[in-house]
Amino acid sequence: MSTIPGLGELLQTIAQKFKRKEAILFEGTAISYQELEEQSNKVANALQALGIQRGDRVAIMLPNIPEFVYTFFGAQKIGAIAVPFNTMYKGREILHILNDSGARAIVTLTNFANLINEIRYDAPALEHVILTGQRTLVFCQPGSTAVVQAVFERSRFASADAVFHAVGEVLVQVLKELGVEDAWYKHQGSIRAHGKKIGTILLSTLENLYILNAVLFLDSLNADEFFKVIWVPPEIKDKVLEPMTSIREETGKIVTLEEFKNSFTVLFQEKFQADLTPSELKRDELFAYEKNRALAYRK
Amino acid sequence: MAEQWRFIYKPNADIADLFAFPAALAEGRIAGKYLLSKEKLTDTLVILGMRRKGILAGADVSINKELAAVNSIDVALSPRSGKRGAQPVGTLQFQELISNAPRTFKSVPVDPEEPAVLLYTSGTTGLPKGVMLSHKNFYSQCSQVVAKVLPLQPNDRVVGVLPLYHVYGLSNGLISTIYFGCSIALIPQYSPQTLLETIRTVKATMLIAIPTMYMHLLTLARARKTEIPKTLRFCISGGAPLPLSVLTDFERVFNTSIAEGYGLTETTSAVSLNKSGDNYKPGSIGPPSSGVEMKVVDENFQELPDGQVGEIIIRGDVVTRGYWNNPQATAETIRDGWLFTGDLGYRDADGYFFITDRKKDLIIRGGYNISPREIEELLFSHPKIEDAAVIGVWDKRQEEVVKAIVVIREGETLSEKEVIQFCTANLAPFKVPKIVEFRKSLPKSATGKVLKKELREGYSDERLLDKTE
Repeated sequence: MSTIPGLGELLQTIAQKFKRKEAILFEGTAISYQELEEQSNKVANALQALGIQRGDRVAIMLPNIPEFVYTFFGAQKIGAIAVPFNTMYKGREILHILNDSGARAIVTLTNFANLINEIRYDAPALEHVILTGQRTLVFCQPGSTAVVQAVFERSRFASADAVFHAVGEVLVQVLKELGVEDAWYKHQGSIRAHGKKIGTILLSTLENLYILNAVLFLDSLNADEFFKVIWVPPEIKDKVLEPMTSIREETGKIVTLEEFKNSFTVLFQEKFQADLTPSELKRDELFAYEKNRALAYRK
Repeated sequence: MAEQWRFIYKPNADIADLFAFPAALAEGRIAGKYLLSKEKLTDTLVILGMRRKGILAGADVSINKELAAVNSIDVALSPRSGKRGAQPVGTLQFQELISNAPRTFKSVPVDPEEPAVLLYTSGTTGLPKGVMLSHKNFYSQCSQVVAKVLPLQPNDRVVGVLPLYHVYGLSNGLISTIYFGCSIALIPQYSPQTLLETIRTVKATMLIAIPTMYMHLLTLARARKTEIPKTLRFCISGGAPLPLSVLTDFERVFNTSIAEGYGLTETTSAVSLNKSGDNYKPGSIGPPSSGVEMKVVDENFQELPDGQVGEIIIRGDVVTRGYWNNPQATAETIRDGWLFTGDLGYRDADGYFFITDRKKDLIIRGGYNISPREIEELLFSHPKIEDAAVIGVWDKRQEEVVKAIVVIREGETLSEKEVIQFCTANLAPFKVPKIVEFRKSLPKSATGKVLKKELREGYSDERLLDKTE
């Protein structure tokens, strides 16, 4: 019997034979064998550049989108082992697979960044979190959501971890002051009370800056209303809707934004050694603000 | 020493502010750095409250803006993040990683026996195990099983509706498509309408699906009375038995032919197919495919004569060499190259196999294995739960559903809703119990083992009984 090719080689041979013939049909577009081969080669090169080698495990947590196929064959081409798993999985289920397989990289949807960040310190082998897709989703509702944002110098902190830690601690203390005794924060990601999500923290970088976005739930959010007007795959809906709670649900008290602000700013000044001066946007910023509002509300 | 920060408080903001504030602050800072602006822009903290309901969504989220307006919900879209956009810390962007990577790559030579994929599947012992599937396993699935039973042609268009992270969708959907040079239409999320629409628009010739999907399509086709696509030349059904009435009706309505497949993650998907037509036997999983050996054995590994029920075991190039980093589970499941399926059944005189029961304590829902043990262990971790058992029961629609029987700790109270919420927080939705029953105690054997048979009393898999008449 002739030798059996590896899956990476199999695609290469087929792609050479079928070139322009369509391989993938996705949302009205056709991806040819040649494109599939090239995209997979790009992934292979990129994974190799990250230090992923033959025999290493690459986790894939993606729905049926072309990136799944590129990642799968990209991993095959470098002789790595693909570990695709169910996009419906939650934290502890994902953690088990990451640790059991010892995956060094995971390719997943941008929406799951928080989910992975929250557990990644418990998955010591995981070095690279690679995100794709633009399906982020935030809901806000009067009286229910308090939003905290900050833009500051990266050099203020030793690491992103230190920022997460500081912000997490401030928010947990605020929650405790407002009566949520059980609030806790583990790693990057969510703040929880009784296992349910009561707030989220997302930290991004841009040049020399950190950009912080945190949302805390003062009162319950009527998510059903929001899902009437948007369509997202269930694995995303399921994670947006993961059991959530709020200060009112935990304490029975209604906390106003004003009360939240007062508590937060005091603790923030202590923790960040900051001296807060009430202010508005300056001229340069106002221009950018109007431009970005128009961009966000574009038709 | 305290640092100077600016503080902006806007209690009457709207959803676009959520995006515009940080964007403006960052742009101001970055512009200031280059333009040496006179105004000193320091670090800034913003607290926003909402005056209206709003959704801030990524560019790939589809939103019905008219409906949003009717419901007084503002919709803001964050722009497609380019190379220079803000990135969540500690993460890499797929598009950015590959944009500058070379388009050519010479595949690293691999040993075909090496694992190419690990697929995690639940067994009886709790946490999922990684089934090692090699290049050769996948190749054999295509060259031996698929090639003989349903020779795909390059002009075939396969419907990729099953998730690619599951063995069935990966092996028979994606990899078979590539092996035969066909096309695959990827469906990122199943709905009966999307599936029917995809079959119609791509003029699909091959459908690989689970029984529920065939039932849905049939219902939809009947209700709609619109034109039914008649392009499907062949279909495979797997994951669970397909009722005979659905099979025959579907074949007639869609003018196609269905083969029922049987296989496991451990066998790289299908090992036997029961094709409709002259050789079709209702209720059977068919004869073994070429390159696959199957037999029925007793508890001493002795082959049983035709018609006698025992455990079905499988050998061949499609069989895994074992579980990742788990020699114990491997040794328990594979002996002398034979894979012990945990399925009980018999072979008839024509060499067709029939499944009658499951030996392992396993729940199978929509083709996914669910380990009762994994759910029980989660329930044990709940402070108000004294004892718990999880079983699979059949609902009115003859689908297997998860049922939890819970014993509450003395002096505590717990509701069905609380149990379900707790499971929802920690488990994928398909594992979350649909039924919760509270009992004072669980029936146990002398050795303390929960007697699940007693718990299951009153439920039976009528579907299986029907088929083995």
